[in-house]
Amino acid sequence: MAQFLRNYYIYLVLLVIIVILSLTNLDRFDLFARGNFLYDRNIINILRVSAPLLTLAGAFTLLMVSGYIDLSVGSTMGLSAVIYAMLAINGVPFLAAFGLTMVCGALLGAFNGLLVVKLKITPVIATLITLSLFKGIALLLVQDGVSAIKSIGDIKMPTWFNSYGREGVLMGLPMAFWVAVAVTIILVVAQNRTLLGKYAAATGGNPIAAKLSGIQTGRVVFVLYIIVGVTAALAGIARSSFMSLGDPLSGDGMELNAILIVLIGGTAFSGGEGRVFRSFIGALIIMVLTVGMLTLVPAYFQTLVIGAALLAAAASNHLISRKAAE
Amino acid sequence: MSLVTKSAKPIGHKRSLSDEMFITMLVASVAVGIFLLASVLVPNFFQWQNLINLVTNNWAVISLGIGVTFLLVSGNFDLSVGGIVALSGVLSVWFVQSTGGVNALSTGLGMPYWLGVICALGGALAIGGLNALFVVRFRIPSIIVTLGTMMVARGIAQVITQGSQRNTNLPDEFGFLGNLTMFGTSIRFPVVLMAFMLIVAVIIERKMVFGRITYWIGANPIAATLSGIDKAKHVTYLYLFSSGIAGVVGILLSSEFKSGYSNRGMLMEFDALVIALLGGVAIAGGFGSVVGMFFGAIILAVVTSATTGLTLSPDWQFILKAVAVFLAIMTQTWALARRNR
Repeated sequence: MAQFLRNYYIYLVLLVIIVILSLTNLDRFDLFARGNFLYDRNIINILRVSAPLLTLAGAFTLLMVSGYIDLSVGSTMGLSAVIYAMLAINGVPFLAAFGLTMVCGALLGAFNGLLVVKLKITPVIATLITLSLFKGIALLLVQDGVSAIKSIGDIKMPTWFNSYGREGVLMGLPMAFWVAVAVTIILVVAQNRTLLGKYAAATGGNPIAAKLSGIQTGRVVFVLYIIVGVTAALAGIARSSFMSLGDPLSGDGMELNAILIVLIGGTAFSGGEGRVFRSFIGALIIMVLTVGMLTLVPAYFQTLVIGAALLAAAASNHLISRKAAE
Repeated sequence: MSLVTKSAKPIGHKRSLSDEMFITMLVASVAVGIFLLASVLVPNFFQWQNLINLVTNNWAVISLGIGVTFLLVSGNFDLSVGGIVALSGVLSVWFVQSTGGVNALSTGLGMPYWLGVICALGGALAIGGLNALFVVRFRIPSIIVTLGTMMVARGIAQVITQGSQRNTNLPDEFGFLGNLTMFGTSIRFPVVLMAFMLIVAVIIERKMVFGRITYWIGANPIAATLSGIDKAKHVTYLYLFSSGIAGVVGILLSSEFKSGYSNRGMLMEFDALVIALLGGVAIAGGFGSVVGMFFGAIILAVVTSATTGLTLSPDWQFILKAVAVFLAIMTQTWALARRNR
């Protein structure tokens, strides 16, 4: 029973939250009707808004599994959003802008990797430094007196700009969401079927043993930072396209959300353990909770509920893993 | 940076200074050096009043830094302090606001001021207790716990203020403590309190058993436990101590502005962490000092105020902050490695 709980509790949590949210308004709206949580447009909307977090979940998990952390993901996201919007507004076509932004994300990730692996700065400090640095660069790229890159007067965002994050291409869901799904599938395969996943777990579980058995842990961590950078850039593109502007602050607080979903997914903070797909579910839980809650309580309850969820996730994680160890 | 190498050199093989004093001196000389550099670059920077402002404008974050430093030395994070600042400030306003206002936000519990302050402090200590419970008893990594309690504390503040602020229906004496000037100068009570807490903290850290135990726990928790130190109790005290300071800071800030604002103290937990790290506190525990943290705060303050003085766009301060932390960390690592070669 404990084993079953340990393996499946996260799906149960998601299910319970969805059931509660879809039952609470039944006195006013029919099931599946407009106004109910299960109204199809509502579900599409939640999945659309979730795209950035879902994109980021997998790579962040792998990095945490290897025992490292990236607090700069929010700033990387904001900077990528600004770069993408700048490219687009200056007439660069979609695919080129998309590719260039991803390259930028990879470079930002590589910079983190450089600080952590080559200069041996503690990950928390190194990525706090880049959190500040990337945010500063993003803010400087946007000219004074304007809060974000957006259509002003004659300078217009191209018409294709928000279709990536908004326009439904399959089952009513936009490209951004399907990219998130694709990224997750790739990373699930990478974790289960490739050496990268095994090396990441080995590095996080016991770095010295990993090194002694010939794994180049530095290189593994470096690659993981680059992957996190690329997915953060994808998340930035998704957010920027969804909001039709390049907002340097659009990723603020993303590092907290990322840590939160990874913990809810059962990844050990000390490294060595964790699954990509569970973090994906964790991201869904958080997005369903935040968006769904708006129909029940005023918006100012959000911080409290998320904080309580974080503590509850950490505590239950701990209790479940201790039960299993006994 | 030339100042740094000069102060690092003459020590030689004699080892008259501990590594810790060495780093503290290093940070202090970097602070002085960066102040002199800013004085050359920024017009009107080299003024007595400006030097005082560097300290007085940062009393809140330096006060928070005391508790955060002690916890870091013991090997634990405290990221909840910013949330506690908001919570205790909002609570103190809510408790003291008189009953029967025109709407929900102007109606409080009508307690006398002294009682309201004590109860608000109780709220802050409750968050500290929660930190201790999760970290010590459940053994969950402190960075996660205190991120969670930070959000819970700020979340409660947001619920009480309905996401904005409470500032009406307050008795006159509410604004007294935060704006009280002392010694016939413009120096306010919170700054004096900060200085007092700094001195007490240095004495505890250097001269008292409690302070030395904190270092043992951080340096080698297992050895500390084996030599009969009650680690759980000690870390609990440290969390209560840190949240108590944060509570006082929150109450004083809301007294200064005569309002309880749910977003007050936003990101202060990161600033407190950054100044401690700038001041040479090791993130792994067992190493660092309150004096170093103080000079770390001065470094950060000089960087921030020089940005304004150079009439750069405020966006530059993020980049300069990053560069300052990077250089500080690299210098410390380099200097320690060179010294222990």
